[in-house]
Amino acid sequence: MVEIGHFALVLALALGLVQMTVPLIGARLRDERMMAVAGPVTLAGFVFTALSFAILTMAYARSDFSLQNVWENSHSLKPMLYKITGVWGNHEGSMLLWVFILTFFGALVAIFGRNLPTTLRATVLAVQGSVGVAFFLFILITSNPFTRLSPAPVEGRDLNPILQDIGLAIHPPLLYLGYVGFSVSFAFSVAALIEGRIDAAWARWVRPWTLVAWVFLTGGIAMGSYWAYYELGWGGFWFWDPVENASFMPWLAGTALLHSAIVMEKRSALKIWTLLLAILTFSLSLLGTFLVRSGVLTSVHAFAADPSRGVFILCILMLFIGGSLALFALRASSLTQGGLFQPISREGALVLNNLFLTTATATVFIGTLYPLLVEALSGDKISVGPPFFNLTFIPLMVPLLVLVPFGPLLAWKRGDALAAAQRLMFAFAAALAAVLVTAFLIDGSSAIAALGVGLAIWLMIGALTDLAVKAGLGNVEPSVAWRRFIGLPRSVFGTALAHLGLGLTVLGLVGAICFGTESVLTMKPEQITELSGKRVRFDNVVPVQGPNYNDERAHFSLLGPAGEVRREIWSSRRFYPVRQMNTTEAGIATLGFSQLYISIGETTESGLVVRLWWKPFVTLIWGGGLVMMAGGTLSLLDRRLRVGAPARRSRKGAVKPAVEAA
Amino acid sequence: MLFWVIAAVLTLGASLAVLLPLAARPKSESSDTAHDLEVYRDQLSELDRDLDRGLIQPSEAEQARAEIGRRILRLSAARQEQAGGERSFGLRLIPVIAVLAVPLVSWAVYARLGSPDIPSQPLSERLARNPADSTVDELVARAESHLAANPSDGRGWEVLAPIYMRMQRFSDSARAYDNAIRLLGSNADRQSGLGEALVNAAGGRIAGDARAAFLAALEHDPSDARSQFFLAMASAQDGRMEDAVASWKRMRDSLPEGSPWRGAAGQALAQAGLEMAERGPGPGQEEVEAATAMSEQDRAEMIAGMVERLDERLRENPQDGEGWKQLIRSHLVLGDANKARDVLARAVEALGADTEQAKAVIAFAASNGLKMTEQVQ
Amino acid sequence: MTRKQKRLAVIFGGLAFLGAATGLTFVALGQKASYFYMPGDLVSADVQPGQRIRLGGIVEKGSILRGQDATVTFAVTDTAETVKVTYKGILPDLFREEQGVITEGSFGPDGGFVADSVLAKHDENYMPREVADSLKEKGLWQHNE
Repeated sequence: MVEIGHFALVLALALGLVQMTVPLIGARLRDERMMAVAGPVTLAGFVFTALSFAILTMAYARSDFSLQNVWENSHSLKPMLYKITGVWGNHEGSMLLWVFILTFFGALVAIFGRNLPTTLRATVLAVQGSVGVAFFLFILITSNPFTRLSPAPVEGRDLNPILQDIGLAIHPPLLYLGYVGFSVSFAFSVAALIEGRIDAAWARWVRPWTLVAWVFLTGGIAMGSYWAYYELGWGGFWFWDPVENASFMPWLAGTALLHSAIVMEKRSALKIWTLLLAILTFSLSLLGTFLVRSGVLTSVHAFAADPSRGVFILCILMLFIGGSLALFALRASSLTQGGLFQPISREGALVLNNLFLTTATATVFIGTLYPLLVEALSGDKISVGPPFFNLTFIPLMVPLLVLVPFGPLLAWKRGDALAAAQRLMFAFAAALAAVLVTAFLIDGSSAIAALGVGLAIWLMIGALTDLAVKAGLGNVEPSVAWRRFIGLPRSVFGTALAHLGLGLTVLGLVGAICFGTESVLTMKPEQITELSGKRVRFDNVVPVQGPNYNDERAHFSLLGPAGEVRREIWSSRRFYPVRQMNTTEAGIATLGFSQLYISIGETTESGLVVRLWWKPFVTLIWGGGLVMMAGGTLSLLDRRLRVGAPARRSRKGAVKPAVEAA
Repeated sequence: MLFWVIAAVLTLGASLAVLLPLAARPKSESSDTAHDLEVYRDQLSELDRDLDRGLIQPSEAEQARAEIGRRILRLSAARQEQAGGERSFGLRLIPVIAVLAVPLVSWAVYARLGSPDIPSQPLSERLARNPADSTVDELVARAESHLAANPSDGRGWEVLAPIYMRMQRFSDSARAYDNAIRLLGSNADRQSGLGEALVNAAGGRIAGDARAAFLAALEHDPSDARSQFFLAMASAQDGRMEDAVASWKRMRDSLPEGSPWRGAAGQALAQAGLEMAERGPGPGQEEVEAATAMSEQDRAEMIAGMVERLDERLRENPQDGEGWKQLIRSHLVLGDANKARDVLARAVEALGADTEQAKAVIAFAASNGLKMTEQVQ
Repeated sequence: MTRKQKRLAVIFGGLAFLGAATGLTFVALGQKASYFYMPGDLVSADVQPGQRIRLGGIVEKGSILRGQDATVTFAVTDTAETVKVTYKGILPDLFREEQGVITEGSFGPDGGFVADSVLAKHDENYMPREVADSLKEKGLWQHNE
């Protein structure tokens, strides 16, 4: 049945070719029948891609080594879960997942976009189809997962053990849902350029898709960061590694897009800018795929290095980025301009947000690609690491974060900065108190640390202030305020939650970076060491036999004040005989929001090499990400984002399912 | 067969996804302005809701309402005519092309890429088949999965180790020998097997671990030929050529006729002899090393190659008594007495039957147990 | 201010901001980008003590020495030149003799290289790309390719 999967993939390509041409011609000619092809073809393409993906997954589950891809990346002795996640743990499978998600989003647009104007819908689906065709061709020509081996080997060559991890297993699908989700906003933008007009509801349709993609990408980045944190055993959570940057750039641009789309929706302003941003965001997603897949940049995560593929992706990139930007240059002037506004207003604040975010994206972009440029021009090999990003990215982010609480409190069109500042007095007082408490009571050594804590508190209280102000707390009876609070649109809660999550992440970063401590030492059994007031005893090392690895597992005890054992921590070095590889499994004890992190090295004559970290509030980094995701999801559920079609609205009324927006 | 049926059904389904909408009657068009109007109405009602909640001031609401009103006015002014009209013949062809494209493209592309005749082969099914029908690889896989389940089955490892060696999976072989020694205890055979696997895995270099294994084997059985051979080679690699030659000589003389190591020692000796005499374009040190480290079959192939080269050289330059001797020896080592005899005949013919050189060659052949046959005389 | 002036002010403000950001970026690139060297490059290159660089090469056989308190010294070589490196911490899982490695840090006043990070890649056959490229350039690459 494996060949059915291969055939289904080819069929999906054929359908994609129809999808990218017929509806587009139909939209030009205003031919209803040709435009009507878009929906069914998109759905059929999705079904066939899903079938193909399911069959590949089945081949992995049943260890069918007559597929070269399965043989190279699987092993019959692997746990079933990792056999299945192994499908996208390699280049070919992950590309199939990419295009599978692309067709999935296409199908969603086809299903939930029934109330879009027909020409727009047809054009959007055609643009989606063209992206799909490019990737189907890429897969079939350079990275076909259905390449067969005959005679089939009887045993596979295992998955890289460092990839055998549940965090990493979930991470790529989430990331791809984010990357590929931006293809919808991209398709909408290109469609608007092709049509030469932006519908009034354009932003209303684009925003939910951007939100969906953004929520997934946020999750993917947070998950990837946590994976690197506990799996690499270096205690770091963000390395400014090219692959991390590749996912961070679309996130920054997507965040900007999310905000500029609000302006466009509410005020019909910033139309052209929003279009451009949507194109850039997806371009950065494609670039992210390119950076990881071509192996152009060395990285701790890169697991594909094949220049011929790189050239193909480069062509895809040039076609879509260059093509869409050229289209933009040609057509943007024909689009109608939007409304005007004062600099001090909600729009003004959002423009400022965009200015900072896009500039930050640009610095990350330069930092990531500069080494490539230098090597191409002069042959020198350089690396741009954390010091560069600390010097450029952070100064750009800090003013933005300071301004965040003001935004939601300013009125549209013409705002009153003073009134907003007055409303934020409480948040400011709280932040100031936090700075002083930190500086004088906890750790006066670093002014930056104290200010960082203040900034985090400012963001969090500021976000809550927005809710309180909108509920009228202080101006009206508490019971009335409560009722108004309950009745607030979900998007308001979404905004507040997302900004709150941002504050939490900042607090986590400040805690882990400024207040974290570490020590490296060699320990003998029963030896006790102390780190930031935590007493840790190294007990012993036990060998443990796992299903496909051998563990050298060190046992540590976190001691209480009386010497009693408060927590047991296991930290191990793992050896995978099939690949002759070692991995580190860090031992982590979570105490409140903080973590004690232990990784072990080899045993020497003077004892076991042990590295300990105390990381206060470190879990908030990822917890904040989850809160941001919750905010985005809540915003997605807002009824405002569900725009009815003129003909259908009267029949279905306001009780449309919430998923309509998705 | 089943595959083609399913593929045909899938193609039909895909084609229908294109065909049906094209064949259907077009639904009534709704103009784009109607969509926009709907959005503006929605914005107005949202404005009212926000005003009711007190989220915005009445003056702001009034302004916003006026702005939306202006947009609605602009919209009704901009009602444009809808396109339509006659289609050219070319355009009417598009649906037909689209419907045909799906089966044509998919079958054409699949015909290039696919391998419809290879069935899927899930591992469990393959292992469930009768062992007699299995390939060597499958048998090994079966043994591997057995050993993965019972890693303390020393016998199993011992059986698998030499099989791995023959399959050129040298590190696996070394691991298997290691396990066998750990579980069943050390003996000469296992240790020398481990040594050979390690040597092969290291590409012919005899490192400390391999040497230790051979020494351990000799402790169990001082006459273990394999260990003697490789230890001699280790001496050669260390540059102690005399020691190596001495022990190879000992092996050649003491080992029984059928022992493969006797031949190997003889061959090594011949090469070493060349090496020491630094004679002509013979095989270099590296080649010898590679030859001795190779598996029996590869070694034979490489020697055959060298023999051929030598043969060729002698055709071009037949006045080379030593060369003829070497070629005869080579054929004898390869166990092909007939060929050796032919070469002897050719040598005598080339050198001239009565020359000193020819006599020396005949004497050499005789000392190696080869007599001139009647046909030459 | 007229509408036009306002728009101009906004545009100039934005450009000034972008200009400042660009300036900052390039200053940062000049200061913080660390160059990659092999030991042989250091002979001709002018690297000041304290300047951050990445030093790549192969861990010389038999050069790994473990000192007190998890301090490790080893030698990084490109087979022509060799540099001694001191590092405190846990070495990566695939750090071995005769394996490719990239260290990041700076030369101390005494001329020894003090690394604060050591990278070896997570794959048995994988050589860090910079190291592989440089070795190829020098004709020292012998990997199976």
